[in-house]
Amino acid sequence: MSIISLRNAGVSVAVDGFPDPKVLLQDISLELTEERIGVIGANGSGKSTLLRLLNGLVAPTEGTVTVNGADTVRNVRAVRQQVGFVFTDPLSQLVMPTGREDVELSLRRSVRHGKERREQAAAALDRFGLLPLADQSIYELSGGERQLLALASVLAVEPGVLVLDEPSTLLDLRNRELLRRTLAGLSQQIIMSTHDLELALDMDRVLVVESGQIAYDGGAAAAVEHYRSLSARSLSGGDFR
Amino acid sequence: MRGHGFLLANYVPGTSLIHRMPLWLKFLLVLACGMASFLIVDWRLAAAALGVLCGLFLLSGAGPVRLFRAVRPLLPILLVIGAFQWWQLGGPVAARIVLNILLCVVAASLLTATTPLHRLLDGVVSLARPFRRFGADPERFALTIAIMLRSIPFIAGAFSDVRDSARARGLERNPRALVLPVFITTVAYARHTGEALAARGLGEPED
Repeated sequence: MSIISLRNAGVSVAVDGFPDPKVLLQDISLELTEERIGVIGANGSGKSTLLRLLNGLVAPTEGTVTVNGADTVRNVRAVRQQVGFVFTDPLSQLVMPTGREDVELSLRRSVRHGKERREQAAAALDRFGLLPLADQSIYELSGGERQLLALASVLAVEPGVLVLDEPSTLLDLRNRELLRRTLAGLSQQIIMSTHDLELALDMDRVLVVESGQIAYDGGAAAAVEHYRSLSARSLSGGDFR
Repeated sequence: MRGHGFLLANYVPGTSLIHRMPLWLKFLLVLACGMASFLIVDWRLAAAALGVLCGLFLLSGAGPVRLFRAVRPLLPILLVIGAFQWWQLGGPVAARIVLNILLCVVAASLLTATTPLHRLLDGVVSLARPFRRFGADPERFALTIAIMLRSIPFIAGAFSDVRDSARARGLERNPRALVLPVFITTVAYARHTGEALAARGLGEPED
């Protein structure tokens, strides 16, 4: 299992017209070693920024983030080889016109030989039952099929860690269940943000993010309960942000 | 988005002679057609060359629908160019210019309709390899072409979506209501694509 360490990590961005930078994440120190880690929290709480730190998509403005010792700023290439990232909207992620081509694109750096690359791409698609759809336009696929394809594209290069940013948000009930089962069968360490609290309950550890800080870190059931009470409190306090 | 469904340069599987032709020969054919468009000065010759190329396209089994789809987006532009040239330089010159443009488009479509994208990208990588000594990364060339092929239909789709929403609000005659949202959508799309590539470690300099 990979070890992801955040030491006093913070992210802030300059905003036009405001003298002080806007703080997105503040003083996060974590050691992520569990197999299944969930990240829950309200919209705009900093979940996505936290996940993006892990793959080097966002660089910490304070502190450090390392994956198995590799710094996400100084050694971003090594980090991205170890950490695959799945976005909320698969159409933002799929770069090529068809599934087969997209998986092959993922493999272009690691597998130089064309024939071998094609075989590996076919195997990656087959693993998710997507081989019959391999040559269809990505626009002709259903939302669930696209999300599975995005997953296949990322997993084709066999990263040790899979980070998913709200992967079930755009899916219907059936496809959510399909995604849930697929994720359960993966050997990778999974770190996933979600609004689906049922999915969060499947996790070994859940982080609750609130206003750029970790409001709770612990077991899934207790974390979900904490999040529910936080949401209830903000509603009763008239805070509808 | 409705308009995003079409693909630019989509491959039509087959086993025709043209499908089996080596990639370098197809590249050469496209290059020759590009050159011919400068060299052909008689519209009848341009028409004959286009006829031969269309014949080859149909022989490949890609079909007349794929051929028409390749040419259709250009038709309004060709109409404007043809009319302008007719007015300025007369009928034969206008016909030659329009036919020569079509010749290039059909040649490029013949290449993409009979060559899977991965082979096309491998070919681009091979062609760009000599530039490595000048610091160029051949994989980046291929990636750029792949992204271009994916992005043009997206932008066309974004335009059709924005036009529909402008029409629904009665703003179809307002150019700002059409151009600005397409511009913003396109910039957002470019950002998302960049992030998606970065997340997969693509487009970074080679070791």
